[in-house]
Amino acid sequence: MSPLLVAAIALITYGSRAAALAFLPRPDGRLEAVLGRMPAPIFASLATLTLITEEGTLTGGPILVASLVALLVSPKRSLAVALVGGIVGFAIGTLLF
Amino acid sequence: MASSESATAIRGILITSLPAVGAIAVFGTLYGTAAQPLIGTPLTIASSMFVFSGALQFAIVGLLSAGAAAPALLLTAGTLNLRHVVMGAVLRPRIGGSRVRRAGLAFTLLDETFGFAVAAPEEAAERTLFVSGIFCYLAWQVGTVLGVLGAGLSGVERLADAIFPVLFIGLASLAATTGTLVLRAIGAAALTAGVALFLPDIRALAPVIAGALVALPGSSGDASSSEEHQS
Repeated sequence: MSPLLVAAIALITYGSRAAALAFLPRPDGRLEAVLGRMPAPIFASLATLTLITEEGTLTGGPILVASLVALLVSPKRSLAVALVGGIVGFAIGTLLF
Repeated sequence: MASSESATAIRGILITSLPAVGAIAVFGTLYGTAAQPLIGTPLTIASSMFVFSGALQFAIVGLLSAGAAAPALLLTAGTLNLRHVVMGAVLRPRIGGSRVRRAGLAFTLLDETFGFAVAAPEEAAERTLFVSGIFCYLAWQVGTVLGVLGAGLSGVERLADAIFPVLFIGLASLAATTGTLVLRAIGAAALTAGVALFLPDIRALAPVIAGALVALPGSSGDASSSEEHQS
């Protein structure tokens, strides 16, 4: 791994971050409406991805219990409540598994 | 008066992002520990300073351990980073200012900071992205240096592992302001599980693919409105 390769990877990463945020025109009309519907599905998708390992198995028991409790309190629609619930769930899961 | 309000706002963002910042510091330490023997201290620290992407940096460590060459590393960088384009497009209507300003802000765009910015009221999205991005950046750098220096954090690694799904579930609940959005989120989660289980080679793209697929059907009035956001 050379410094040049690190620089190239950094450039690709930054380019992907800046492409739509800084350089492409602001989306409008139907595209903006579609994009406006994407955050919740993206977060749900990211959460799911963190629960499945690259080998295709479920992650550890305490993490699953933490996620389950966070999911149970999600109707409260509060990040703080989700995090507290998750920590409580993790503690319960650690005791159980 | 204005600076007092600003300090209060920054404190609020810090409190919201603190669990993620802590988890990022832990993973930074793990990255420093894993990368240092493979690429040396200077490149380990430089990669964290300039790439600043945990998922990608860990993937690179894995590829280097397997003996992968430069083209594979660059291809992985391109693939894993595709989601940033979509996240940038989602955030774009919430971020004002000049192109130079937005180009500067873009460096702070991560999965986590994207979440905080989207969950924040629309007028606070830019500040939230910037402030949470700075805290996450500092945490990643400190963690990397600690890892390079040989710090061990095995005791909190599992808790840090648990923070990310919980964080994303919390952010999903904030962003799912209508019943339809809840159904779309459930659909995306199911699609992602399918991709992760049956098409593991493209699992990194699952959030963008699933997010786009479930967001496409519907009318323009079905998007979450900023008025419905709550912190």
